[in-house]
Amino acid sequence: MRVWMLFLALSVALGSGAARADDLATLSKDPKQWVMPARDYASTRFSPLDQINASNVGKLQAAWMFSVGTQHGQEAAPLIIGDTMYVESSYPNKVFALDSTTGDLKWTYIPNTNRAAQGVACCDVVTRGIAYDGGKIFLVTLDDHAVALDAKTGKELWATQTGEINLGETTTAAPFVVKGKVFVGISGGELGVRGRITALDENTGKIDYIAYSTGPDKDTLIGPDFKPFYDFMKGKDLGVSTWPPGAWKIGGGTMWGWFSYDPDLNLLYYGTSNPGPWNSNQRPGDNLWTTTVFARDPDTGAAHWAYQFNPHDLWDHDEIQENVLVDLDLDGKTRKVLLHPGRNGYMYVIDRQSGEVISADPYDTVNAYKGVDLKSGRIIPNEELKPDLNRNVRNVCPASPGAKDWQPTAWSPRTHLLYVPHQHLCMNYMTSDVGYIAGTPYVGATVDMFAGPGGYRGEFMAWDPVQRKKVWSIKENMPVWSGALVTAGDVAFYGTMDRWFKAVDAKDGKVLWQFHLGSGTIGQPVAYEGSDGQQYVAILTGVGGWPGVVANAQVDPRVRNGALGFTGATQDLPSYTQGGGELVVFSIPKQEAAAPSTPQRNP
Amino acid sequence: MRAHLVACVVLALPASAASAQQAAVAPTGQPIEPEAPPRSEAGVPAIEATPGASAPFSASANPILRVPVSGLHPGNVSFAPNIANPLARESQAVTRGMQDFNQFNCVGCHAPNAGGGMGPALSEGRFIYGSSPANLFLSIYQGRPNGMPAWGEILPESTIWELVAYVESIAHPPSPTFGRTISRTPPSPAVEQTPAEFLQTAKPWSFTSRFSNGRQPVGE
Repeated sequence: MRVWMLFLALSVALGSGAARADDLATLSKDPKQWVMPARDYASTRFSPLDQINASNVGKLQAAWMFSVGTQHGQEAAPLIIGDTMYVESSYPNKVFALDSTTGDLKWTYIPNTNRAAQGVACCDVVTRGIAYDGGKIFLVTLDDHAVALDAKTGKELWATQTGEINLGETTTAAPFVVKGKVFVGISGGELGVRGRITALDENTGKIDYIAYSTGPDKDTLIGPDFKPFYDFMKGKDLGVSTWPPGAWKIGGGTMWGWFSYDPDLNLLYYGTSNPGPWNSNQRPGDNLWTTTVFARDPDTGAAHWAYQFNPHDLWDHDEIQENVLVDLDLDGKTRKVLLHPGRNGYMYVIDRQSGEVISADPYDTVNAYKGVDLKSGRIIPNEELKPDLNRNVRNVCPASPGAKDWQPTAWSPRTHLLYVPHQHLCMNYMTSDVGYIAGTPYVGATVDMFAGPGGYRGEFMAWDPVQRKKVWSIKENMPVWSGALVTAGDVAFYGTMDRWFKAVDAKDGKVLWQFHLGSGTIGQPVAYEGSDGQQYVAILTGVGGWPGVVANAQVDPRVRNGALGFTGATQDLPSYTQGGGELVVFSIPKQEAAAPSTPQRNP
Repeated sequence: MRAHLVACVVLALPASAASAQQAAVAPTGQPIEPEAPPRSEAGVPAIEATPGASAPFSASANPILRVPVSGLHPGNVSFAPNIANPLARESQAVTRGMQDFNQFNCVGCHAPNAGGGMGPALSEGRFIYGSSPANLFLSIYQGRPNGMPAWGEILPESTIWELVAYVESIAHPPSPTFGRTISRTPPSPAVEQTPAEFLQTAKPWSFTSRFSNGRQPVGE
C-alpha cells in the first residue's frame, strides 16, 4: 500500500500535467457527475444528460427530499461524486453526504462556526457551495474557516482560518480547486474589508499565497507578466495611487463569487467586488482593482491581465459574477472569450487571452451609464445621476444589486445560448459620510429599490453572444435569484423566490413544467445520473439572500430602506414564502420513462 | 470623561477621509482602543467587579446586573429593577441618539429607521433581549451572541442612553396587535413608512403611506 502510494505520488509529480484518472477536468467530462458548483472549469453549468428532455420533462416528479435544518437562504449547489451527493447548508455551514439515488444520509459534518459571524455578514448568512478534489470535500464557513473532509467518512482532515470576523470578514464564495490548490475568497465589501483570494495546499491546508485586490503591486501580485489591454490600467502600484491616501486598506474589492479556469492557457479567472464605502465621494479615483476581472497564473498567483468594469464605482456594482469560458466564431475567427454578465447591466464578451472587450451590450434597463467605450475600455457614467453628497438621486437603473448579482448563468454548447437569471430593479440612492469602525458596516448610502419599468422584478432569458441580443425572455414577478441549469435534453431549469421550480424549453423559453416548492428558491439546480441509471435534477430550496431576508429574518417590510434598500423591492415577499432549507430531487418515475412517447401535456 | 467622549466622536466622524483612516485603519483595522475605561455618567452603578478586582463582587449591589434578559423566573419569583433612562427628560437626547445611530454605524446593520437587515428590525417594537430601557442599554453595552457587537468599551454610557432614547422613539408602529397578519388580499401590512431618502425623522411612524408592494415609493 505504502509503495503504491509512493508510486502514485511520483507518477503525479513526474507526469507534468498528465491528468490523474480522478483529475477534476476528467471527472467533469463524466456526464453522470457534478463535481464543482459550475460543473466544469469553464463554468457552463451544462449537463450532457438527455434522459429528461423537452418532450418528457412534463412527467417530472419529486423522488426524495432532505431538510438541511436551517431557515436562512440556501444558495449552495449540491455536488455529485460517484454515487454520493454532498450539500452544504447556510450558516452554521453543515455538510451532508447522501446516497444520490435513495437519499439515505451517509454522514453529517457540523463545524463549530462562531455565531457572532452572523453579525458581520452583509446579506443573509449564505454559502454558495463546496468543492471536491482527490477524495476530499472542501468547505468554507461564515466565520472564515476553510475545512477539508474525507469524502468517504466526513472526517475532518484540516481546518485553516483565512479571515477575521472582527475585521468584518466572512466567507461565502464556494471554494475552487486547481492543481492541488484550494482557492477561497473573502466577503465584506460592505464592511471595509480588503479584498483578496487565498490559495491553500489541498493536502495540508497551509496557505500557499494571498493575492490582494488593492494595495501595492507586490500585494496584488502584479509583476512582469502583467499586460492589461487598456492604458488606464497600466502603471506602477495603481492599487495604491487610484485611492485617497491609505483608503485602499479598507477599500473592498472582495471576492464572494465565482472562479473559472482555462487549463490550456493555465489562467484562473475571477471578479472583485465594489469599493468601500458605497459613498463614492469619500474615495476619489478609479479605486483599482475593485470591480475587476483578474486573469492569474494559479501556480503563483501572478496576474496576467485585468479589466476594471466600473472605475470609481458609484452604485455598488460589484463584478464578482461568473465568467463563462467559451470559444465563439466572431467575424470568421474562432476566439477564446469569457462571457461576463455585468452587474452594471452590460453583457461583456472579453478575449480571455488578452483582456480586450470585444462587445458590451445592455441586457436590462440601464440609465446609470451611457455605454462602454471600447477604445478606452471605460464605461461612461451618466453625469446627470451623479450621487453628490446627501443628494437623493431618483430612479437609477440598474439598482445596487445590478441587472444580475451572484446568481450564475448556464451555457449550452447545443443552442449556443447563455441562460441568464436576473433582476429588473431601479432605485433611489442617497450618499452620506460614513466613518470606518472595524467590524461594522462601512456603507454611507441610503438605498430604496423598486420594480423597474413594466412593474416586473425579474427575468429569465436566453442571450446570444454572437448576435448580441436576447433570444427569448420570461418575465418574473420577483427577482430571479437562483442559478440556471441547462441540459443536453434542451431543457433549462431555474427557481423563483415565489416558490416555483421551472423547466423551460431551451430553444424558445416555453414553460414545460413547474412545481411549487416549500420555500422560495435562490439555489443552484444540478443534474446527475443515479446508480439506478436514472437522470435526476436537484435543487436546494430556502428563500433568503440579500433580497430574501425580509422573508426569513426579523426585517420590517414597511421600512423600505432595510436590508441595504432591498426591502423596498421585495417587501411583499413574506406574502409568498417563509424560509426553510430543503433539498428536493426530481426524476421521471421508471414506468413513465419507459412508456411509449405520447403527445405532451404541458401544465 | 469629557476627553473620552470627544475621542469617540472624533473616531466616528467621517468628514475627512484622513481622520477616518487614521482612526480605524492603523494598521489593519485593530479594534479601536478607548483612552480610558468607560465610567458611569448617568447615575447607574458601573459594572466593575471582576474576579481579582479589589472590591468584593456582589450582584445585588448592582441593580443593572439584576435586569433579567429571560422572561422565565424559576419558582415564579420575578424581579425587574426599575431603571429609567437617565436622559428621559432631556429634550435633545433623541436627536443626539439619531446622530449616534448614524455615526457609530448602527444604521449599517439595523438600517435607516431600524427596519433591519444584517441586524434585526427595531422598528416593530419587538425586542429579542427585552424592551425595557435597561434591556436596551445592556444589549448595546454587552452585545448579543448572534452578531450584536459589544459597544461598552468604546462608547460612553451617555451615548448608549441616547441610543436607547432614539430606539424607543422609533419603535412604535401604528395599531399594534398581539400577532400580525400577512396577506396579499386584502393587503396586509397596509402601510409603509415614508422612506429615509425623502425624510429623516426620529418619529418615522408619524409619516406613512399605502404599502407599495415593491413598486416605486410615494416619496415626499
